[in-house]
Amino acid sequence: MRWSTEDIPSFVKERQYVDTALLPLLPVEFGDGIRQSAAMTEFITIMTAELERQFRGRILLAPSYTYLAADGANTPQTEELNRWIETMKKEKLKHIILLTADSSWKKIEYELDAFLVWMPLVPLENLDAAYKKQVISEQIKQLLPVVMDKWKEEGKS
Amino acid sequence: MSDEQNHNVSRRQFLTYTLTGVGGFMAAGIILPMARFAIDPVLQAETEGDMKAVTDVSELTENPQRFDFSYEQVDAWVTSEVTETAFIYRSGEEIVALSNTCTHLGCKVSWGSSSDHPNQFYCPCHGGRYEKDGTNIEGTPPTEPLHRYVVEVREGTVYVGKAEPQV
Ligand code: FES
Repeated sequence: MRWSTEDIPSFVKERQYVDTALLPLLPVEFGDGIRQSAAMTEFITIMTAELERQFRGRILLAPSYTYLAADGANTPQTEELNRWIETMKKEKLKHIILLTADSSWKKIEYELDAFLVWMPLVPLENLDAAYKKQVISEQIKQLLPVVMDKWKEEGKS
Repeated sequence: MSDEQNHNVSRRQFLTYTLTGVGGFMAAGIILPMARFAIDPVLQAETEGDMKAVTDVSELTENPQRFDFSYEQVDAWVTSEVTETAFIYRSGEEIVALSNTCTHLGCKVSWGSSSDHPNQFYCPCHGGRYEKDGTNIEGTPPTEPLHRYVVEVREGTVYVGKAEPQV
């Protein structure tokens, strides 16, 4: 379900069925990295929107978590993000999926109390519409089982 | 006259252009709403009966296969391309096209994706299941069958229209 006045009422009504939050992590840069930042935003926004479309009955697509990109040797701050995660978990969203193209999270994955999915950025800007669609659907096909496996894990434990 | 002068727009010309421009624009503003008013019912009927070509009849089998089709949707000021998926199969003389949207909370179902139930539609979100004809299976969350598309065949091509509830 989307973060919209149209969908949120059904989220509230059907909460027992919506146990998963999808949170896009978008790094923001205004200097040299601005192109990259825009490309990541575009790519991850398309991916999360499509995931929502496939699994809208069980996934709540939260508003994106944006942060200033960590420069060089630094890693992103986990404190604030963990507060988001904690808050969502308190609200019975027991699976939290973080989707990002920013590889700096990989290094500190273990500090996050959520399931981090990193996708290498696919530059979509110069592709024609038909090819773009094909690339996106290929990516999505790989992403769907990742989410479904996460749900299955829970069934076992 | 030099070339340069030729390219310069004189003040009078400029005014003429702008005034015609503005006038034309205003006229369009007045005429368009009326034209819309006059044409609208026709346009509407056309969109409703809008059938989208999906595949060749020869591609169809007794087994539900997935077919994607896209069309433009205007939502307030945003026009976006929407892709929908239908599961289509032959049943005797009939062609059945079912929506892949779970009637429970809207996840996408697929045919035979649960190894325990190879001849059913399966929803990965809460385990909703449906028979081949779209009938929801009791004891699973959906309370209504998969919606069914209006189908038309013209010159060997399968067209689908709106997906409608089966109850
Ligand atoms: S959305 Fe399909 S079973 Fe709930």
